[in-house]
Amino acid sequence: MALAVVDRLRFSYPRADRPAVDGMSLELREGEHVAVLGASGSGKSTLLRALAGLVPHFHGGVFEGRVVVGGLDTRRTRPAELAGTVASVFQDPEDQVVMTRVENEIAFGLENVGTPPQDIEARVGEALAAVDAEHLVGRLVAELSGGELQRVALAAALALRPRLLLLDEPTSQLDPDAAEAFFDLVERLECAVVVSEQRPARPLAHCDRVLFMDGGRLVLDAARDEAVEWLRANRPLYLAHGPDVVCRLSGVGFAYGDRRVLDDVSLELRRGEVVALTGPNGSGKTTVAKIAAGLLDPSAGVVERARAAYLSQDPGRYVVAERADEEVALAADLERARAALGRLGLEQHGGRHPRDLSSGERERLALAAVLVTEPELLVLDEPTRGVDPERKAELARLLRSEAPRRATLVVTHDLPWAAEVADRVLSLDASAVREGAHA
Amino acid sequence: MSPGPAVALLAALAAAALLADHALSVAALATLLLIVALRAPVARRWPYLFGTLMTAASVFVLTPFVASIGSHPLWTGPVVPVLGALDVTREELAEGLFQALRLAAVGLAFACYALLVDHDRLVGAAGWARRSTLAVALATRLVPTLERDAAGLREALRGRGVDLAPARLLSPLLAGSLERGLNLAEAMEARGYGRPGRTRAPTAAWTARDRGALALAPVVVVVGALWL
Repeated sequence: MALAVVDRLRFSYPRADRPAVDGMSLELREGEHVAVLGASGSGKSTLLRALAGLVPHFHGGVFEGRVVVGGLDTRRTRPAELAGTVASVFQDPEDQVVMTRVENEIAFGLENVGTPPQDIEARVGEALAAVDAEHLVGRLVAELSGGELQRVALAAALALRPRLLLLDEPTSQLDPDAAEAFFDLVERLECAVVVSEQRPARPLAHCDRVLFMDGGRLVLDAARDEAVEWLRANRPLYLAHGPDVVCRLSGVGFAYGDRRVLDDVSLELRRGEVVALTGPNGSGKTTVAKIAAGLLDPSAGVVERARAAYLSQDPGRYVVAERADEEVALAADLERARAALGRLGLEQHGGRHPRDLSSGERERLALAAVLVTEPELLVLDEPTRGVDPERKAELARLLRSEAPRRATLVVTHDLPWAAEVADRVLSLDASAVREGAHA
Repeated sequence: MSPGPAVALLAALAAAALLADHALSVAALATLLLIVALRAPVARRWPYLFGTLMTAASVFVLTPFVASIGSHPLWTGPVVPVLGALDVTREELAEGLFQALRLAAVGLAFACYALLVDHDRLVGAAGWARRSTLAVALATRLVPTLERDAAGLREALRGRGVDLAPARLLSPLLAGSLERGLNLAEAMEARGYGRPGRTRAPTAAWTARDRGALALAPVVVVVGALWL
């Protein structure tokens, strides 16, 4: 018998103009680990909330069809009553913390579901041990790192001994090492797990089955190996080591008002390569860069990209915090920020005010501030403008050393520097992208 | 100290400050509470202390201009419609100082509660009032969260070259708090909150110190009302 059944589920949030989940049916079996993939807004989180009973009870909206979990129909069973059969870990661990100390946070759910008081301490210890976090007992939740906090959230869910564990983008706030460790823990779990992720590499490596959602519809429900083949053919960017294309622009057009800047531009950026984009002023280099980074939407064509970061021309605009490490930590936690500073040789400057740094150091700080987000695609717009030859050489070394982690697109007028740093030089002229520098 | 007696004692000190008649007594109570509050880590305590002291200072500065008491003018200003004469008397200054000290004492008692009391144990010990106690504990956490959100918002705006008046930040801060509240409520419901048949994890028994603190609390109120 299936652990959970979703039968022709169609759900629309209040005042939404289209359903978030549209006619979905599936069955989940005991103990299977399922990855739910799909773009943002494809309905992944809504599916998880439907399995937890939060849709429709917590969110309201129009609910059609049926969801049954552990024999309980979610229309007639409130989420609180499903707790214990189902447990959820949400995207932002900070937003799910109720108590102030780790052990009390884990005990909170146990108390709610009526666990005998004499068993609570043992269950808390067991849950912490399951996520390798016994050392966190007694710590204040507010003092934990993002990775530690997400482990505590997982422990709080596991303490309930659920038959179905729902993980909604659980590693989106974690650095790569913490995310990998998190999925290693999840893989050991014996309960059924449904994990929704936008970064699919890790769940794909750890799951038995893959669901792919698009516009609220289930377009793929297959075992992992079959799903990988489907992804390779239909959604190559979802495969970490597939064709390794991190960004693809196909027939892209763009206009600023009536002024057409780009027409039918296509290019591919692959992991590990540094690509220089050259061309005369007004040729649309920065527009291409911004479209690639997701800062502009094209008026025509298709853009597929992984997570991108964009470093604009003026590193000074990245100076908003009082300390260099805090500056970088604006987009991550302090631990990751310090690691990023270390990678760029700024570890000893973490406590300094960014404006006290030299120009070269400040440029490296700006680079650290975007690299800390671990983008799959790094876009730099004229990074050598006003930079002396020594610093340009240093920047080239830095980009080369970071290159294997991602695809790098550099917009530049500086052809000698482009030749030094880039694997490929593309020229943009009259809206056409050609291999080779523009003379 | 267990949270129940600690809260009772803090409430008693705040009540004594409100009931006391002499500025020196209130100043002594405020100083005592400040010393206790300073035991909290610097990073956590500053929003509470800064907020309390700024509010108290505002009361001290504004009171002479809105009160009309005393016959020993130190400064005579213009007559303002509605408010009347903007004079400052010695008695008004004393009254301003007194009210500011009272406010500081109450604010510092709250700071001690927010910073030093174990809210988890307080919620656990709340019994029938658990729901309300949990709501207060979560609301207390809103102060540092709001402060952190406001700083993040300002930095993000500065990074985009946008300069907005602080009042314009209130709306996004409120929206952010509501969103956080909804997320938390959703997570709590998913973890069984509100389900009948709840149990309680065992808590440590009260010590003699706890019982002493609880007994001392009404004494402090009486002393504040009659002799301070």
